[in-house]
Amino acid sequence: MAASDTWTRWRYRYVPDHIIGEVLAKNWIDTLIPVVFLAGVLTFFSIELPGFLSGSNLTDIAQIYGEYLIIIVGITFVMMAGGIDLTVGSTFAFCNLAALLVINTMEVNLALGIPAVMLMGGAIGLVNGLLIGYLGMRAFLTTLVMLIIVRALVDQGLLDYGQTVMSGFNPSAAWEFMAIGHVYGIPASLIVGGVVALVGHIVLTRMRFGWHVMAVGGSRRSAYNAGIHVKRTVCATYVLSGMLTGLAATFYAARLSSAGTDVGKGLEVTMLTAAVLGGISLGGGRGSIVKAMLGAIIVLLVQNSLIRMGLSSGASSLVLGAILLLAVAIDVRWVKNRHKVLARTYVSPTYFKLPPLPDTAEGSGSDYALNDRLRGVEAIGLGELDGPEDVIFDDEDDLYCGGRHGDIIRFSAPDYARWEVFVHIGGHPLGMAFDREGNLYSCVGGMGLFRIAPDRTVTKLSDETNRSLLSVVDDSRLRLADDLDIAPDGRVFFSEATIRYEMYDWMVDALEARGNGRIICWDPKDNSSRTVLPSLQLPNGICVEPNGQSLLFAETWGCRITRWWFDGPNKGRKEVIIDNLPGYPDNINRASDGNFWCALCGMRSPVFDLALTMPSFRRRMVQKVARDEWLYPNMNTGCVIKFDADGNILDVLWDLGGEAHPMITSIREHKGWLYLGGIYNNRIGRYRIPDADPQWTSNADYWGKRS
Amino acid sequence: MIAAARRAWENFRGVGDAAVTVPPLDGALRPNPGLEEARLVASLEAPDCIVVHDGAAYVTSGTELLRLGEGSGTDTVAGFESAVTALAVSPAGHFAVGLENGTVAVTGGRHNGRRIDRLGGAPLMCATALMFEGEDALVVAQGSLHRPPSQWKHDLMERRADGAVWRVHLKDGRADKLAGDLAWPCGLAAANGAIAVSESWKHRIVAIGGGGRPRVVLWDLPGYPARLTQASAGGFWLAVFAPRNQLIEFVQREPVFLGRMMAEVDPDWWAAPSLTPSDTFLVPLQGGAQKHLGMLKPWSPTFSYGLVVRLDGNFRAVSSLHSRADGRRHGVTACAELGEEVLIASRGGGAILAAPVEAAHSVVRAMEAAQ
Repeated sequence: MAASDTWTRWRYRYVPDHIIGEVLAKNWIDTLIPVVFLAGVLTFFSIELPGFLSGSNLTDIAQIYGEYLIIIVGITFVMMAGGIDLTVGSTFAFCNLAALLVINTMEVNLALGIPAVMLMGGAIGLVNGLLIGYLGMRAFLTTLVMLIIVRALVDQGLLDYGQTVMSGFNPSAAWEFMAIGHVYGIPASLIVGGVVALVGHIVLTRMRFGWHVMAVGGSRRSAYNAGIHVKRTVCATYVLSGMLTGLAATFYAARLSSAGTDVGKGLEVTMLTAAVLGGISLGGGRGSIVKAMLGAIIVLLVQNSLIRMGLSSGASSLVLGAILLLAVAIDVRWVKNRHKVLARTYVSPTYFKLPPLPDTAEGSGSDYALNDRLRGVEAIGLGELDGPEDVIFDDEDDLYCGGRHGDIIRFSAPDYARWEVFVHIGGHPLGMAFDREGNLYSCVGGMGLFRIAPDRTVTKLSDETNRSLLSVVDDSRLRLADDLDIAPDGRVFFSEATIRYEMYDWMVDALEARGNGRIICWDPKDNSSRTVLPSLQLPNGICVEPNGQSLLFAETWGCRITRWWFDGPNKGRKEVIIDNLPGYPDNINRASDGNFWCALCGMRSPVFDLALTMPSFRRRMVQKVARDEWLYPNMNTGCVIKFDADGNILDVLWDLGGEAHPMITSIREHKGWLYLGGIYNNRIGRYRIPDADPQWTSNADYWGKRS
Repeated sequence: MIAAARRAWENFRGVGDAAVTVPPLDGALRPNPGLEEARLVASLEAPDCIVVHDGAAYVTSGTELLRLGEGSGTDTVAGFESAVTALAVSPAGHFAVGLENGTVAVTGGRHNGRRIDRLGGAPLMCATALMFEGEDALVVAQGSLHRPPSQWKHDLMERRADGAVWRVHLKDGRADKLAGDLAWPCGLAAANGAIAVSESWKHRIVAIGGGGRPRVVLWDLPGYPARLTQASAGGFWLAVFAPRNQLIEFVQREPVFLGRMMAEVDPDWWAAPSLTPSDTFLVPLQGGAQKHLGMLKPWSPTFSYGLVVRLDGNFRAVSSLHSRADGRRHGVTACAELGEEVLIASRGGGAILAAPVEAAHSVVRAMEAAQ
């Protein structure tokens, strides 16, 4: 057992499982599939075909790639809007014929000829667009029929003009440049293709039309409800596709000057394969120009190489068809299952072994022996509060607490029966502290560190810190700022409980038992924030010690309290003062007798402690068991402990069974009373501390008496 | 080889034996506050079995056999050297009790003082239910070959199936094995010439009799069935002593974790079904059972529950009484009809309860009339 335990510990220390989930959560993960596919294709053909990557071969491919690129940008727009364009093959042939006729034979100037050819392509697209966009016909059937009709027109055109076309010749230098010219080895068609792709990318991601296209593809009905002209947008994508096909056809015409019956045959399947392979979803709304470019290069390489390997054209189509089927299957399964895969892999437990659980039995003589001293404490705001995580007092004895509705609430002294919303912030205010000038600082879950002046002005102090070097998730944003305290020089030290979960999911972090949290320092001198202590196990309570040079912080899932010097001769030193609590420590605050209070928000259970040493068990549990049924630490009972600066436990206050205060997340001593807050509670508790100094206030202890 | 491949496949897909899904409480099993609102008849330390004879109800609690009197009083009928784990009454009013120490004792009548502690050449170990057939034959449900009744939690978590049902002829002590390899048979009732047996760990009821293999008559219960008794209007009352729970089903299929939990942790603190609602934080919590605004939600996942199911003559559930996650009357181990009421032993709630039977009976009659 010990040997396997050791192995498990090392295995989970050095294999960063959590990165898988984080990578899967990235948006660019969709592009990863075509990139891997491309790498595979390159490797395979480099081995199979000598000279595959040679210059001459690449130049040939590059010329065709330019043409493909122009076409596929149009197809991308159509597919992103949720459509499909099968007419491209015929449109290509039609425009090729038209280009030969207009430019080659009639020798019309290119500046007029090329737009004319593009307009002809656009006209075919317009027919598609009108039928699909405005009449609401099925895209697949409509474009398929148009494919046949336009093909018939081309065949007729070849009969009528075939001879004429073959005999024509346009001697212009520009036409020749389109055919064989290149700049720094890059063929003209590829340059134009690159420009088209760049413009397409900008339009799709940065401009109104592109956003409309993505909105229509993502959800037609929502787009309509948002006021987008759905029909016009759909129609426009087909026109665009037709025009770009026309442009590509002129390059083809210039390059080959041929008008055979097989021009553009099967092009629609090639383009569709490329788009789907690149990761442009057939359902619309998902994809990008970059993905289309990747798909096109893969298809082109495969096609080209298969021909060079001497496969008959039938076999080549077979391979292409197989790739299309595979790509469609991957597309369908990926879109459907991606979030499931993510949900299965995101929670990534690691090994953590706690020391043996301290005894808590009544009469056991343990420091933590059960008692009922918190039973029947007075309640403030019973039934009116929802989640007062922390409690604090100003100089007038008014009480402040947070709430799940995003407010900071103020109860008026002396009876705390009347309350008002002090400020509305928006997120759930957690830890709170007053500074020397009487400003209230609060960590707001999901938002960051805020300062509220006595005149109720809210100032955001920090919502980001420095990003750590090797993080996959962007950990610069603050997800869950938790508790804070203020040093004598005005620096604010605050904890961020976890960087991997949002506020409402914070308990899931317990299943990971990894050091996902950190302590951050906000410096008022330059209004900057820096992470000072990374990789802590849900750092929670923070309390600056009276010496002004060190602070105590609690790691909730680590069940320990640590002292850290941020100033003075011991600067940077860290020492654990309590390492084996029977529960999960939350906020720490000063007590009137120079010691410290700490709330335990939940209690350890032997079964959960055991599960912490078996990460693979927890991982399988997350995958197989419904979320509400997961094993958690027992957060339905809490207690309050008092400890001295050396970590000796002096006192413990229990609310057995959690009748009034199931979960205690904070405590604040004020004028002889102890106030209890809880993040899921509906009240603040008020407990008379026997023999406490009835004049002691936290503000005076921190900042001295104010007049 | 094929079995291993199938196990691997089931494990991967989470189907078959590897499924941790639990049937929902729906249809006739829809939750209601029936048990929470039931009349309290008597508060006892650990009520377990109930039988009714000649207008009087007899219950067991700890080592004692008690008669329920008028009001909430009880009279001790007999005391035994170890905890009573099973109880039956003969047509003539003599008792047979199963004891924690692995014996069955008969009191009164022709066979007064007879003790049975071996069945088929092996120790009896675990008598979980008894039923008289006339005065001279006693049907014994043997929960397990290896564990006494108090270690039911161990047996459950290991999903053992080594229990049996025997017919003991009290005249000569001969014992016939009616069925073996049962997963904790725990309730017995005569049903149309056969014997209905609740097989707890497999969440089902099987009918034994007429030779051949046990026939499954009710399956996929959302909890672990306990004692079964006949209802006066036809059909049966079934006590269900603990709920099934996805987490527990999962833990049962995790041999390494289960082994360490059973070896290192006190059984009261396991992630395992329980008769009593938890009152210590040493029992782990399931996420959905987190108290919000000071309240435990009744639909929370829970290790203990109170459930009585009324079955018709074809073992179809027709109605039920519940004590939900936030209730206290959990761990129902037995029930029996007395007059217009059904008496219910809630082990976890330490109470004998009474609920009216007429509503359930009329549903049964209506269903039979419709057929």
